[in-house]
Amino acid sequence: MVNFTINGQSVSCEKGETILNVARKNAIYIPTMCYLQKTTPCASCRLCSVEAEGVEGFVLSCQAPAIEGLCVITESDSLHKERVNIMKMYDVNHPLECGVCDKSGACDLQNKTLEFNVGTQEFSAKDQHRKIEHWGRINYDPALCILCEKCTHVCNEVIGDDAIDLYFGGYGSKVIPKNSETLDCTFCGECISVCPVGALVSSDFQYTANAWELSKIPAACAHCSAACALEYEVKHESIDAIGQEKIYRVTNDFEVNTLCGAGRFAYDFENRIYGKDKEAFLGAIEAIKKGAIRFSSLITNEEAMILQRMKEKLGIKLFNQEALNFSKFMKAYGSTSGQSLYSATLEHIRSSDAIVIIGSRIATDNPAVRYAMTTAARHKGARITYMHPIEDALMQNTAKQYVKYEVGAEEGVMALLAKTLLEGKTLDSEISAFFAELDLGYLEAESNVGDEEMMQLKKNLTRTKKRTLILGADLIAHAKAENIARLAGLIEKHTEFKVMIVAPSTNTLGVSLICDLDEESEGYAVGYNARGEFVLSSFGEGDLDMPSLNQQEGTFTTIDKRVVPTNVALPYNGYVLNDLANALGIRAEYTIDYTSQLPYSVGFECNAFDTLNARYGNAIKDSRGYELKSIEVTCDGVLSSVDELPEFNGTVLYACNPVLQFTPNTQKAHQLEEEACLRGSEQFAIAAKLSDGDRVEFDFGTLRQKRIFKIDTALKGTIALNPAYDLGLAAMVSSYRYQSVKISKVGS
Amino acid sequence: MRKLPSLQDFKDRNVAEGSSYYNIDGEAYPETGWAQFKQVVTRTFRLELFVGLWVVLREMFKFNIHTVQYPAEKLPIGPRYRAVHEMQRLWESGTERCIGCGLCEKICISDCIRMDTKIDENSRKAVTEYTINLGRCIFCGYCAEVCPELAIVHGGRYENVSEQRAHYIGFEDMLTPLDMAISGKVAEYPGFGAVTPHEDERVKVTPLAY
Ligand code: SF4
Ligand code: SF4
Ligand code: SF4
Ligand code: SF4
Ligand code: SF4
Ligand code: FES
Repeated sequence: MVNFTINGQSVSCEKGETILNVARKNAIYIPTMCYLQKTTPCASCRLCSVEAEGVEGFVLSCQAPAIEGLCVITESDSLHKERVNIMKMYDVNHPLECGVCDKSGACDLQNKTLEFNVGTQEFSAKDQHRKIEHWGRINYDPALCILCEKCTHVCNEVIGDDAIDLYFGGYGSKVIPKNSETLDCTFCGECISVCPVGALVSSDFQYTANAWELSKIPAACAHCSAACALEYEVKHESIDAIGQEKIYRVTNDFEVNTLCGAGRFAYDFENRIYGKDKEAFLGAIEAIKKGAIRFSSLITNEEAMILQRMKEKLGIKLFNQEALNFSKFMKAYGSTSGQSLYSATLEHIRSSDAIVIIGSRIATDNPAVRYAMTTAARHKGARITYMHPIEDALMQNTAKQYVKYEVGAEEGVMALLAKTLLEGKTLDSEISAFFAELDLGYLEAESNVGDEEMMQLKKNLTRTKKRTLILGADLIAHAKAENIARLAGLIEKHTEFKVMIVAPSTNTLGVSLICDLDEESEGYAVGYNARGEFVLSSFGEGDLDMPSLNQQEGTFTTIDKRVVPTNVALPYNGYVLNDLANALGIRAEYTIDYTSQLPYSVGFECNAFDTLNARYGNAIKDSRGYELKSIEVTCDGVLSSVDELPEFNGTVLYACNPVLQFTPNTQKAHQLEEEACLRGSEQFAIAAKLSDGDRVEFDFGTLRQKRIFKIDTALKGTIALNPAYDLGLAAMVSSYRYQSVKISKVGS
Repeated sequence: MRKLPSLQDFKDRNVAEGSSYYNIDGEAYPETGWAQFKQVVTRTFRLELFVGLWVVLREMFKFNIHTVQYPAEKLPIGPRYRAVHEMQRLWESGTERCIGCGLCEKICISDCIRMDTKIDENSRKAVTEYTINLGRCIFCGYCAEVCPELAIVHGGRYENVSEQRAHYIGFEDMLTPLDMAISGKVAEYPGFGAVTPHEDERVKVTPLAY
């Protein structure tokens, strides 16, 4: 603890905390222009200067750590003069276009100019013509840029694309795409978000609405299991569409939380319907009574609870293979770790100094995890080992070591990993026997993971204190998933590693905890956002329409094991699942009445929906909703021996969506429109005898798919990526993500 | 020249010699019940009412009429009168003055302005639709006053009867015709929200390095 005073008020903080942060925590105001909590200080504005007793000149409070006994002064005449001068400099030749600027009303420059009462320009500088850049979804106006460097910091330190840079040229300085003519990045849009002025703006949003006209609806992103906090900004659609509401954009509390481009740009997935279809509703009731519902995890906890109640009351079956796989995985994991939930959180990843990730193409599976790893790498120097059969260019400048293993060998790799990490720990005799019996030679040969790679991995861990192991969706749908999970449980229990299991879909974790799922079987089933004989769909292609996730209130269970609320951004005037439940005799006025009924025995709390906090507020960490309790379970898991590793020969495809695409919901988004293609490297093209633009056909799982093949120069190796987001109701990651296929060319 | 009373003089409510206030000579109010009764009776039977009626009748037959023949005839309206809005154009170039800033939409106290904007081909903000619901407008003039471009102003058209309570006027209806703007037929707007005549003296000059 460090004790010191700010303006005479005594405050205390952890060692190393900056003066600015301590001041903010104690509600003492220090003006800033370039500060971002989640990056290292940009230190470009000098507005945060303070005086400290015994220190010559001013101190930059955003950068300077507090020292024991320091007396800090945040307001004085000379400080005020300094700050006014800084603002005067910022305002020189700043275009007077607040009248049309998107940022007006929410602009830091506007606010600070008024705060320091800069009404005139006393200096002059010869202005020059600056060209507005159009970078796809982003427009950049260098004339408005105040060179605060927030955008470059966030892109490098949090996102990891490192796609933009500052070009220094005195008065002509500007932001430029790094090593490229135009911006070529994953388009998370975070740079737009952090820009304090209107220099970086969304090209789709630009000039369509003023900040003050939009109502902000706090919600949770519906696209992946991170369920990031965001705000849908809503206004009437246009003068011509009377009574119609529209989401204009999505914003986030960028100081602390980060969105990917799917969260930011894929917001218009609402199911627009006009009125209620009574006939379809009655049909749905009859269909449900026939005995089974198949559903996806793109639902809220409350809806899952309703489905579970339907099962209890009507004795119907509930199918959700993906969540069932996940639930089995978690059970097996708990049977060796002793806990029902994994222990790592995104915050833990961010502060880790060693991370091992296996079985996920994380940059597209769950961008929030990727960003947390980027932060760990940049801020904590985390050494990241990325284990996967396909190299990912997006992880290149984040991961320290890339371990490539053979497709299908996950069980073997996990055994080798567990053996390496558990070396020297006291283990049960059975477990020791398991490791002693491993046929190392075979495993190493078949998985292609050598001894040196494991040694290197071990070396990466030396002198690291906070470690995280991240397990991806490849493992959960693996034939030997449970054995893999038991091995992971051992690592959690016996080592310093905290484990995170990345759920494959938005609310897989919630569904797996709330619903008592059945093994998939053929026969009549109602599909809820899934295939079935009678389909309830929020994608707008079913027999009865359902509200989309931005038209519903309810909660999601996130990757951080938090139950977070989401709210209604757009009205929906059709039937909802709760109406069906009521018609079936399961009574509740609103869907959110179920929030307090979520099962306590698996870690939920009895909180009513309206008590849940949906925003970050001033908290530095995610304090939305509440955290699930992990339940202690008995360690009775028995490892089964690793016999034979499956082999995948010939043409292998990997079920993997492109950047920003996740589900039929993201596919609907007008800003993300592009054709879903089969993407492979040049090497793959040669091996599969395909060329760019060929039309191909193949069986993937149970589905016959027709696609266009595209060569992706950023890819390496002989496995092609086959997207799933465009498959509508059939899009569910429930089988092993790699498959050997026979591709036939049907044209070019 | 007569000395104008100062503001202080107006605020001074003491009726005294030299102040701006003075008592008028009037009949004293009746104090007692009897006096009041007497006043009512005399006023009733003195037939004062017919004096006024006689004046009207006399003037009618003389055909010396001073009233305005509305609606055939309309009086000119003062420039600062706040009636139905107009949208101005720049002189000579004829460019629409409105930049689509939305301040009028924001400030409107009866929430009757609504506008749609977009980015145009030249990367500029363009107003695609703009309406005012005159059925709600209270002609307060805030929109004209807040407009940074002197685009929306109040014109002299004070008639807005309509069959419906909601009664919209669009951008095109309010816009000055282009030919008028180009031919210089529009005078500098003198009305509500316009810059004051001595504005030039008050502007601070920004140094420019050219
Ligand atoms: S959109 Fe994201 S990745 Fe692209 S430049 Fe901006 S911050 Fe970087
Ligand atoms: S573009 Fe915005 S965030 Fe980036 S340096 Fe300029 S003002 Fe700062
Ligand atoms: S898709 Fe995932 S990472 Fe992206 S904003 Fe949504 S929840 Fe966050
Ligand atoms: S005059 Fe007043 S009420 Fe009428 S449109 Fe303008 S601001 Fe609104
Ligand atoms: S305030 Fe003036 S410039 Fe702004 S939108 Fe209204 S009319 Fe146009
Ligand atoms: S906030 Fe410290 S230098 Fe900008």
